[in-house]
Amino acid sequence: MLALILALVLAASGLLTYKPLQLGLDLQGGSQLTARTFSDDPAVVIDADGLNAVKEVVRRRIDGLGLSQTTVQVAGKDKIIVQLPGSGEQQADLDRAARQITQKAFLQFTVQQADSTEQYDEFNAQRARLRALLSRELANLQGAEDTALNAATLAQSRERATSLAVELDAVERSIATLFDSRALTGEDLSRAIAAPVPESNGLSYQLNLTFTPKGGQTFADITKEVAGDPEGRRIGIVLDGRSISEATVGAEFRAAGITGGGARITGNFSEAEARNLEVQLQVGSLPYDVEILESRSVGASLGADNVRRSLAAALSGLLLVALFMVVVYRLPGVVAVIALSIYALLNLSVYALIPVVLTLPGIAGFILSFGMALDANVLISERTREELRAGNSLYRSVEAGFNRAFSSILDGNVTTLISCVVLGYLGSGLVRGFAITLGIGVALSMFTALTCSRTLLRLLLMYSGLRQLRFFMAAR
Amino acid sequence: MTFTTPRPGPGSRSPGLRISRHGSTLISISLALLLAAVLGFVMSTRSSQIGSPLNAGLDFTGGTSLQLELRCAASGCDSDQRFGVAAVRQFLADLPLPPVDSHPVDLGNASIQVLDGGAGLVVRSAALHPSQTKLLVEKLDARFGPIDQAGIQLDSIGPLLGAELLRSSVVALLVAFAAVAAYIAIRFSPIYASLALAALVHDVLIVCGLFAWLGLLLGVEVDSLFAVALLTLAGYSVNDSVVVFDRIRETGRLEPGLSLREQVDRSVTASLSRSINTSATTELPIIALAIFSSGGLQWFGVALAFGIAVGTYSSLCFAPPLLLLLLKRGRLGRQAEA
Repeated sequence: MLALILALVLAASGLLTYKPLQLGLDLQGGSQLTARTFSDDPAVVIDADGLNAVKEVVRRRIDGLGLSQTTVQVAGKDKIIVQLPGSGEQQADLDRAARQITQKAFLQFTVQQADSTEQYDEFNAQRARLRALLSRELANLQGAEDTALNAATLAQSRERATSLAVELDAVERSIATLFDSRALTGEDLSRAIAAPVPESNGLSYQLNLTFTPKGGQTFADITKEVAGDPEGRRIGIVLDGRSISEATVGAEFRAAGITGGGARITGNFSEAEARNLEVQLQVGSLPYDVEILESRSVGASLGADNVRRSLAAALSGLLLVALFMVVVYRLPGVVAVIALSIYALLNLSVYALIPVVLTLPGIAGFILSFGMALDANVLISERTREELRAGNSLYRSVEAGFNRAFSSILDGNVTTLISCVVLGYLGSGLVRGFAITLGIGVALSMFTALTCSRTLLRLLLMYSGLRQLRFFMAAR
Repeated sequence: MTFTTPRPGPGSRSPGLRISRHGSTLISISLALLLAAVLGFVMSTRSSQIGSPLNAGLDFTGGTSLQLELRCAASGCDSDQRFGVAAVRQFLADLPLPPVDSHPVDLGNASIQVLDGGAGLVVRSAALHPSQTKLLVEKLDARFGPIDQAGIQLDSIGPLLGAELLRSSVVALLVAFAAVAAYIAIRFSPIYASLALAALVHDVLIVCGLFAWLGLLLGVEVDSLFAVALLTLAGYSVNDSVVVFDRIRETGRLEPGLSLREQVDRSVTASLSRSINTSATTELPIIALAIFSSGGLQWFGVALAFGIAVGTYSSLCFAPPLLLLLLKRGRLGRQAEA
């Protein structure tokens, strides 16, 4: 038994040197987004495959951000969790990631319906007017911080900008309703690249698309359909239900359509918009809608501070407990402290092995499990004392102490384990982290309290110098 | 303080502490505490600022909390560099935040708290989109900065998630109760199971009551860590009760001639030093946690420390007298001995 304990201690120390503990966001610094997948159509049920498909798209889009050490996981029935590393520009990274994962980016190539030119012209004029008004309002707001405008004017301006944005969105959707979809979507692209276009008032961005061979053929067919159309019907590019670009096709393409397998989207893209769209089109669209439920971000120095505080709490707690045990329980107290140290070591190495990502609630669970581990030792030592008081021999009292404390320890730990299992299954992230560390702690404490303490105490009692009542309790 | 005074064991003739004699007093103390807790819930619900039994924090209600620190905080900021509540409030009221997903945002009624005498700032508002928080940080940095980018803490929670967290915590707690009760009913008896649950509800309610009062008096909010603390206390409370019950059962087995009253008295006496010592050893690291940590984790430590004390009390001074009371009233003796 002693050999087993020694082997475990050695293995645990080895493991911890080679495989460091994984620290969670709140200890290491970093950001986390929790998003939910859903469908507006109540008939659609998103199953595990659907969620995984979303996760895959999200993962590739997040990879496209060019950050190292990102993770994307599914959680529960409908959630995706994205973690980003700490950096000097954490807030900006979080923003980019949030935009990347919420935009569905479902791109459709469409053809204008017959007899809709008049309506189109009307909508188009509305759109141009709204765009101009909105950009003026936004410029107003931007400048307003420098010139001290009064709050009322500012609030009005902000409200106007909001309603203009809503109107513009509605018009863009109305335009899309004038177009019929064709069998050509973002799926048929093999490449999308954002490219700057010099303009009179600075740089604008466009997207250069390359189709797959089949997509190229379909594109040629579609363009042939409207090439030199007498009505002036257009090809429309619709993104997530909003028309982003429409173009007529010249009569010279009437014979074969636009061949060559490429197309260009020239919209009013800023650089950031174009780059986002580039990644989204490269990766493909999301099969369902995604919305952000939660975003959290912890700066790296705050994380380091949390680690320092937790370490201080754990060490001083351990020290105080050790002192208490030795003063109150004497020799069995010393043994309990050694067993407890082994317990802490084994616990940490199990965290490294599984691996358990250590978070603040997780550390709290660990610290609490110290207390629970001690309970077993306290029970055993108290029972041993009772036996001694009843006048039994030292050796018999120690053995009886272990045997009679066993059922209390078992029942107490099993009830705690039951709640840990339930919390681990049903609880959300934070609760689960806590339940896992507490559960591991309780399971391990049964081993260390019953096995390690017993073996060590038996070993020590082989020395006759230690077989004295005063090492166990105060003289009567 | 030492707990080494010799106490009579199960074989001894004289039971030290006769818990049964003080049954009605002890149960009255518990009832008074429960009443204080319920009063706290009522006051909190009627308070215009809180409006619910507990002062629910961001985790449950949804919203954004942004905490930042000036870069000069490490070396000590000059008075003109510090954040001032009035200046920040004015600045936020005038700050144009672009709408995202057509949700207009006005920071005019955000709550503002200044930390470390102006070197730090906490802004709390309705839930913001990451692009809005990014802009907010940039603007604050430009106006009041430089801000320490590595010292920013952001928590932004949509209302949907808060409600879900509350629901999943309550469901987890109830299922855990049921599973533990079933285990005790099988290992002991149904009456012990109901007593363990009664002690558990007692403990959880009193801790919640303390936080209702803390919310009323100090504005302390309950967050998801508080839910974790309650879940932990539930486990701890049951554990404590089980140890005492186990002792009562063992005493009954070893000395079947004793009256139940006598059995309970002796078992509580015998468990006393174990229960107090275990609480003390568990409290030590938790108090260390409460002292060394900051923010939410500190109140987590307070909830645990207080809850463990209450749990120890209930396992010794609430559940055993209640057992006697139940047996006397309801002639359930046979069931308990089963």
